[in-house]
Amino acid sequence: MLTLENLSKHFGGVRAVDGVTLTIREGEIFGLIGPNGSGKSTTVNLITGLYTPTTGTVTLDGWDLTAMPQHARTSRGVARTFQNIRLFGNLTVAQNLWVAQNGHEQRREHFLSRWFKPGGEHGASVDELLQFSRLYSKRDVLAGNLSFGEMRRLEMARALASNPRVLLLDEPAAGASQEDGQLLAERIRAVRDRGVTVLLIEHMMELVMGITDRIAVLNFGQKIAEGTPREIQDDPQVRAAYLGSGHDEKMERASA
Amino acid sequence: MDPYLVSVLSNIGLFSFLALSAWILLLGGEISFGQQAYFAIGAYAAGIASAVWAWPFTAAVLWGAVLGAGIGALIAWPAARFTGVHYAIATLAFAELTRAALNVFHYQRDVDGYLTGPDGANGFGDIRWVYEAGIEPGPYLAVIATLLLAVIALIGLAARLDVMAQLRMVGEDPILAAMQGVRVLRWKIGAAAAAGGLAGLGGGLYAHFATYVEPAQFSVMTGVHAVAYGLIGGLGTALGPILGVLIDIGLLESLRALAAYRMIVFGGLVAIILILRPRGLLDETLVAKVRAWARR
Ligand SMILES: Nc1ncnc2c1ncn2[C@@H]1O[C@H](COP(=O)(O)OP(=O)(O)O)[C@@H](O)[C@H]1O
Ligand SMILES: [Mg+2]
Repeated sequence: MLTLENLSKHFGGVRAVDGVTLTIREGEIFGLIGPNGSGKSTTVNLITGLYTPTTGTVTLDGWDLTAMPQHARTSRGVARTFQNIRLFGNLTVAQNLWVAQNGHEQRREHFLSRWFKPGGEHGASVDELLQFSRLYSKRDVLAGNLSFGEMRRLEMARALASNPRVLLLDEPAAGASQEDGQLLAERIRAVRDRGVTVLLIEHMMELVMGITDRIAVLNFGQKIAEGTPREIQDDPQVRAAYLGSGHDEKMERASA
Repeated sequence: MDPYLVSVLSNIGLFSFLALSAWILLLGGEISFGQQAYFAIGAYAAGIASAVWAWPFTAAVLWGAVLGAGIGALIAWPAARFTGVHYAIATLAFAELTRAALNVFHYQRDVDGYLTGPDGANGFGDIRWVYEAGIEPGPYLAVIATLLLAVIALIGLAARLDVMAQLRMVGEDPILAAMQGVRVLRWKIGAAAAAGGLAGLGGGLYAHFATYVEPAQFSVMTGVHAVAYGLIGGLGTALGPILGVLIDIGLLESLRALAAYRMIVFGGLVAIILILRPRGLLDETLVAKVRAWARR
């Protein structure tokens, strides 16, 4: 469904992403892991069009996205969250969702018709997203005044508001407690059950190993392994990449 | 009404246009120290139209606004590529250039036996259409107030159509806005046009109120004040910059005891408010609370 073909991004001498090829299948939760600086966020930025690749292509359902601007990719069904939360802090929670939902539609629709469904009286699906993210009671609060966990939930809701086919989550559990991690896992499964394919980048190994169908591992920008969680845990190359980076223990625990 | 009060209120109304102009750009994420240039352009254009070309008042003022909007859009096209300090400097440079140009702008024609029109640094007098039409200061204040209310209503309509929300998106995080399909450059140019038009409208009204304008009135200090009005009054609603004008002109300028220290008091006030409420008195948080409360 989402295919990266020989994808590279070089920043001067740094090969942040270096010839990555992988295919994410419709309806799966795909994990992308790797040590810090291995090119995970850069890969997401290449898929969403924040960066243009040095080489390679990105295709979604056979559509070549590589030359498309970001908003065109959004309307083709690519949505993301950011490793460092990005929201419109001076807009309300509902406005953040409403604008995300309509941002890519409004060019087609006559703007006067928006009079009949203005942001103040958010439509059904925004309400539904607010419920889904447990943010309904906060709908009129400014996004900048939310707690950290609420911001993370709003970010995912914002990504879902554009009605994506594939959702890219860049370390959604960063800064979250173990308990929040459990809730997050449930929410990611629920997103998948809504028919959205998920690419999950995560450091919390328990989370990744627990909910993904398949995993690819990056190291220094290159894909060093791909397979089911069990295959990845048993892969000697992966263990080597994580050795000394503090994650090997977590892997042990996750596989135990 | 007391003539002094009428004059203070008229000034508050007129400078509110300038404050709203700077406020719109603040929402779009840019600090402009150059909105006084559009105020000047509107003043000169409308003044020339009514005093030299003998246009009716409405057409003259409209022409000032249209010219302000057009030049605003034209300047924004290159300037929108700048952000932050660079944008502020670019707008400031443009405004000073405009003032320098007005200092050498001579366009005087014979009107009923008198030479009328801009005379460089000597200014531009006899913009008398309003007085010759027999409109007293009181009714003229009503004209200013009506137009200001119309502008506020228009901004309210724009907010209802989520135009303001999109402008705020562009101002806060242009990359994220672009990802969501907002055409950032267009919004920046549109905001600059609206801001130029508003300042131009205010300038045209100002010229007919004062009957005399000169380049020195449109100095950088005027532009800095215009930005400060939004910053102290608040960025959450169009009433914010107007509150800023009220505080400065209504309170500080009008209180005789403070008059000598006005600049010091105003500067101090700006500093204190920016520390305590970085987005002004009527900030977004307050506005969101009021809205939520009103919906209940
Ligand atoms: N905009 C950029 N400019 C220069 N180097 C970058 C940029 N973005 C990422 N990098 C570099 O690319 C490498 C991969 O970074 P990143 O994709 O953020 O890794 P990860 O998300 O896996 O931690 C790092 O060495 C990082 O310093
Ligand atoms: Mg990263």
